[in-house]
Amino acid sequence: MISPTAIGRRIAPLLACIGLLAAWQVAALALKNDSFPTALEAMRAVPAILGDKEALINILASLRRMAIGFAAAVAVSIPLGLLMGRSRAVAAFFNPLLMVIYPVPKAALMPIIMLWLGVGDIAKTLVIFLGVSLPVIYHSFEGAKAVEEKMLWSGAAMGLSAAQRLIRIVLPAALPEILTGCRTGLVLALITMITSEMIARQSGAGNILFNALDMGQYDTVFAMIIIVGAMGIGLDAAFERVRARLVRWSEPQFDMPLSFS
Amino acid sequence: MMSRVLSMDVLLGLVPIALMIALWQGLVSFGFAPVALLPPPGFVFTRLLQQLATSGFQQEIAATLIRLFGGFLIAVVLGVSVGIAAAASPAINAIVRPIVRVLAPLPKVALYPALLLLLGFNHESKITLVAADALFPILLSTYYGASTVEQKLIWSAMAAGTPRREILFKVVLPAAMPSILTGCRIGLVISCIVVFLAEMITSTDGLGHVLVIAARTFQAVDMFVPLITISLLGLILNALLQAARSYLLRGFPEA
Repeated sequence: MISPTAIGRRIAPLLACIGLLAAWQVAALALKNDSFPTALEAMRAVPAILGDKEALINILASLRRMAIGFAAAVAVSIPLGLLMGRSRAVAAFFNPLLMVIYPVPKAALMPIIMLWLGVGDIAKTLVIFLGVSLPVIYHSFEGAKAVEEKMLWSGAAMGLSAAQRLIRIVLPAALPEILTGCRTGLVLALITMITSEMIARQSGAGNILFNALDMGQYDTVFAMIIIVGAMGIGLDAAFERVRARLVRWSEPQFDMPLSFS
Repeated sequence: MMSRVLSMDVLLGLVPIALMIALWQGLVSFGFAPVALLPPPGFVFTRLLQQLATSGFQQEIAATLIRLFGGFLIAVVLGVSVGIAAAASPAINAIVRPIVRVLAPLPKVALYPALLLLLGFNHESKITLVAADALFPILLSTYYGASTVEQKLIWSAMAAGTPRREILFKVVLPAAMPSILTGCRIGLVISCIVVFLAEMITSTDGLGHVLVIAARTFQAVDMFVPLITISLLGLILNALLQAARSYLLRGFPEA
């Protein structure tokens, strides 16, 4: 039996979606601008894009690059972040480098990387990898730093080696924080994917979006915005489910609104 | 003793950066990469210093900074006020929460074409994009900070006779400050990234535009210059925010 509040929580985002689309519809009708189609017109263009075989292949290729870049970044960043969080020397070694790299837009490296690696998949996947790894490293680092020393001491007292302590104590303890980083990374992967394809106009969802903009096919532009937005929301919701399952034991009271009355 | 440990850390941190530059120099000197594709670091840094002295380049930086600050400030004002309001009132919370859940994971860069068509190619569309991207980290961490304020603090303030309205400014806002500033830091980095990207997509000035022009004419040196500049800008702004943080959080245990 699902409680009414749970139902409310589930349909509230849906209602928000409908509300935003309705606001768009009203705004478009009010502005009557040729370059700003109504929500309904844009949604009508969505099946046309998804039905087109070439466009579909393009979008799937984008998603594949994103998945590879994201997976590789997570695989490298979590161990690095955990090590940085547990060892002062490792943290001191990498921190300044990461601070220098952080504000550089990773997609802006595209033109330079393209000079060396060409416009193919490798360059784009590398850029996605770079974009995802920084937040994941940062959050893993913060998570590992906050692990209670006492747990590590007891682990050591019970004869766990340093590597075992890292995997059996630090990793689970830092998991909620790591997953927060992964969630940020996921959204960043999508952003980097779109921008890298916008710069290297060869294939992918970003290519369709910005080509349509250049050619003045405004229905397609807004339909692609809907598709990319839906991808973002869908991926985030899916990740949230995985996260909720993995760290069920540490559900923060984030969902508890605090009233001052 | 403390300062010696600190300076050791600083030295250790310089090692990877020095190694990277050495590797870069090595790749060029030993002929693995042609100079046209990978100019030597010394060349790039002299070019950077040269450019920084020219008024043209300073104007590009100014254009980028105006957009960056405009967007970031809008994001801070909106994010903090909406975040606190959502934490304070269940009614606002019920409206804000689903909207944020839908909008936060949306890749805002995809909205940029729409913003361009609606707001034109000038500052407005770029500032809006920066604000939209920086807003959510600030909003979420403000909300998180404000909703985890210890109830006891609020009760004591009420017991001491503080009017309800003032509790927001005297108790909740200061208590949520560390969390808000963490959000601002993330928002600032995102602002740097987004403003650059927006300028790369369509612009007639700004650092992103400098990069695009250099890429179109295959001037590898000039491609590195704006990237290093934005990295330096990010570092300087981060340091300023850190200074503001230690000023605002004086008296907090972890600051």
